Amino acid sequence: MSFLSKKSVLEEFEKAKASKTKEWRDNLPTWCPGCGHFTGLHGLYEAAETLKIPPKDFVVVSGIGCSGRFPFFIKGFGLHGLHGRAIPIATGIKVASPDLTVVVVGGDGDGVGIGGGHFPHAARSNFNLTYILLDNSIYGLTKGQISPTSPMGMKSGTSPYGNIARPINPTTLALAYGATFVARTFSRERDMVSELITKAIQHKGFSFIHDLSPCVVFNKDVTYNSLNSVTATLPDDHDVFDRSRAMALAESTDPIYQGLFFREEIPSFDDHVQKVKDGLNQPA
Amino acid sequence: MKYSEIKIRFCGIAGDGIVASGKILAGACANIGLHVMVNNIYSAEIRGLGKSSATIRFSTSKLYSMGDGLDLLVGMVSKESIIDLRDVKVGGNVIYDISTVGDVAEEDSLVSHITPEIQGHGLPLKKLANEATGTNQGKNLVAIGAISYFYSLPPDMFIDQIKSVFAHKGEHIIDVNINAFRLGYEYFREHYPLNNQFEIDKSSEPRALTSGNDAIAKGAIDCGLKFFAGYPITPATKIMEIAAKELPKLGGWTLQMEDEIAAIGAVLGAWFAGKRAMTATSGPGLSLMSEMINLSVMSEIPTIIVNVQRGGPSTGLPTKVEQGDLNIALYGGAGDSPRVVMAPSNSEECYSGIQLAFDIAEKYQTPVIFLSDLFLGQRIETVTIKENIARNRCTRKKPTSEQLEDFLRYQITDDGVSPMIVPGEPGAVYSTTGLEHSVTGNPNYESDVHSMMTAKRFRKFESMVADLPHANILGDETAEIGIAGWGSTIGSILEGMDIAKKKGVKTKLIKSIMIHPQREDLFREFFASCKKIIVPEMNYQGQYAALLKSRYGIKPIEVHIPAVEPVSPLKIAQKIMETNSELSK
Repeated sequence: MSFLSKKSVLEEFEKAKASKTKEWRDNLPTWCPGCGHFTGLHGLYEAAETLKIPPKDFVVVSGIGCSGRFPFFIKGFGLHGLHGRAIPIATGIKVASPDLTVVVVGGDGDGVGIGGGHFPHAARSNFNLTYILLDNSIYGLTKGQISPTSPMGMKSGTSPYGNIARPINPTTLALAYGATFVARTFSRERDMVSELITKAIQHKGFSFIHDLSPCVVFNKDVTYNSLNSVTATLPDDHDVFDRSRAMALAESTDPIYQGLFFREEIPSFDDHVQKVKDGLNQPA
Repeated sequence: MKYSEIKIRFCGIAGDGIVASGKILAGACANIGLHVMVNNIYSAEIRGLGKSSATIRFSTSKLYSMGDGLDLLVGMVSKESIIDLRDVKVGGNVIYDISTVGDVAEEDSLVSHITPEIQGHGLPLKKLANEATGTNQGKNLVAIGAISYFYSLPPDMFIDQIKSVFAHKGEHIIDVNINAFRLGYEYFREHYPLNNQFEIDKSSEPRALTSGNDAIAKGAIDCGLKFFAGYPITPATKIMEIAAKELPKLGGWTLQMEDEIAAIGAVLGAWFAGKRAMTATSGPGLSLMSEMINLSVMSEIPTIIVNVQRGGPSTGLPTKVEQGDLNIALYGGAGDSPRVVMAPSNSEECYSGIQLAFDIAEKYQTPVIFLSDLFLGQRIETVTIKENIARNRCTRKKPTSEQLEDFLRYQITDDGVSPMIVPGEPGAVYSTTGLEHSVTGNPNYESDVHSMMTAKRFRKFESMVADLPHANILGDETAEIGIAGWGSTIGSILEGMDIAKKKGVKTKLIKSIMIHPQREDLFREFFASCKKIIVPEMNYQGQYAALLKSRYGIKPIEVHIPAVEPVSPLKIAQKIMETNSELSK
């Protein structure tokens, strides 16, 4: 049964109606029916509900692209900024006001294309941010061109003879950059998405979620069906504190694993800042 | 001879202690109440090939620029100093290293290029430095010793300064440097006993020294700066270094970001979160920030960008001055993108001006670009800064409790300013965007909405005029020749006007820290009262002149100086004299 069958859609709809996340809902989403981003948005509602984040303390920062519209659909503070620049803006907000819950949302073009230079530094600084990268392997808002995560050979308006470059794997990048919480999800698995977004927000430090979120309109290569056949949950015995094992599993393309790859408990950026400030305030 | 003003240049290669020479001489002069200005010139390379020089001008009266010819050139190295001979005044002096004269070929030897209009004085710099310190270091102190005798400047003022400059290096270093100073002093007393007199007013109070960069950092911190994000770039880095050191002590923080886009992005984020924030950069960085300035305009999140201009375009001349970034400051960005542009003309204005910039940004929710330049940013000068720590700061327009019930972030108002709330405060929430939006902040692309919102964003600039400082008119009100200038060029203009005045030509100057918006009424009145208008500036195109021409419909005489050095007051005076003779034709 296809994920998009009428029965499945109706079931999801009933489930959504029953959830208690109304407090965080704002404008109706403008995405195409079947878009993977609905799951990520729902996950964020559920995380806010579970963690009881007051809308006044909830800030969602996004870049440009289909995923960039998140702030308008969430009751909280939102900043829909520039293409690729959500991370630095969120950093400024969080460092200026550390008590806020700040979530960055962006797409693959936004995060590992135009904004690819910001991701490593936010990860290595261990800013207390959650970064959700919704990966549809395409530029959707410009109507279907290859992105940094598109597979080799993929044809599009800007790659009529096929994509020549190899795709970037955002999960392995996050691990290499030193992110202290790294997970991959698939928008088909709604509960896993919600659970991992919740855990990511709870994490003290830079948490990263690579959400495979197919574009049902423009991407004919990376689809629900193509991903269905290769995705698998991480082995039960995977040790989430083992970075090199996490890296090996993250590199696998068949299967493409989902779940929490890696977690590390080290002082966050805020902890380091506090330590410096405490030291300065001590009487000489 | 008797002097009330002297200009000295130390010329050497990087590592010769050139900057320290300037520091000691300037510090000593400021301590005894003289007015001082120091300009360091160095190449973009840190050591090795790089030539470096420190020029120190000190006087019993106020200084506005580095002036013109040198009274004394100290050639710490031979070949590299030859070119600086052209800057020595007729009747001026040169000190050369007599202990190394034989070491270089004649064409590379400084002494063989000294012309009869200039007086050469041999001083065994290297030999005496070795005697005093056991190394080649200390040549600078030998030279300062000689200068002390040569201009009858009391040795005590230097000894005190050496002790304070080298305090962190320990007793031994202080002793050997004082020794080097004494050897230089004694050598000149023995070999050139006929010395000059510098007039010192013994009752003067010590003066404070600052650079423009220091003054900007201090001004910002004193008016509530809590967050700084930047990316190192010559010549603006000093501002970031001060912020990095001071902000954590005051509950704030400084982030070194991965590039200038990230820097301005983080600054925008901090303002959105309700904190006063700033970045500082130079031309290449400002270019990268253009899109984020657009976002600041569109989302009406305040921003402060200090741009310490250097020579351009591209990487350009990282260690030389130019005023070439006015156009990008005024116009750089997509769409109809209004922003405030300010330009301080001296260190005092760096301090008070940046505070005004914060108030404007906060009150009118707009980007403010604060255009300093390399000369102003790095020169060290004696100043009287009125510290203004507990000033009554502008706050953001907050919504009333009624407005909070149905909060409209982009509510249309008479002055164009809408209420702004801060995340974390109870009452309401909103989302903002770089997309065109309706009064709620939701994206909206309707023609009427776009027109209304664009007009609102521009209306803020009309409202702002009431808060702007007056333009200053200096010089002789009855003069027929008027000058309009901006930024650090103002100092050279003022001294150029003084030279012309001594030759009987009256002039007046209009200056304003505000480039955009401006008190247009005052400018119009000023221009209407002039028969000729001169607009000198340090760029090739005449960027300020172009602005004035389009804004006021004037036809000025433009003086374009694509600069690598501060503008010469004599050059300004010449232009005034030329203009005067045209007028009297």
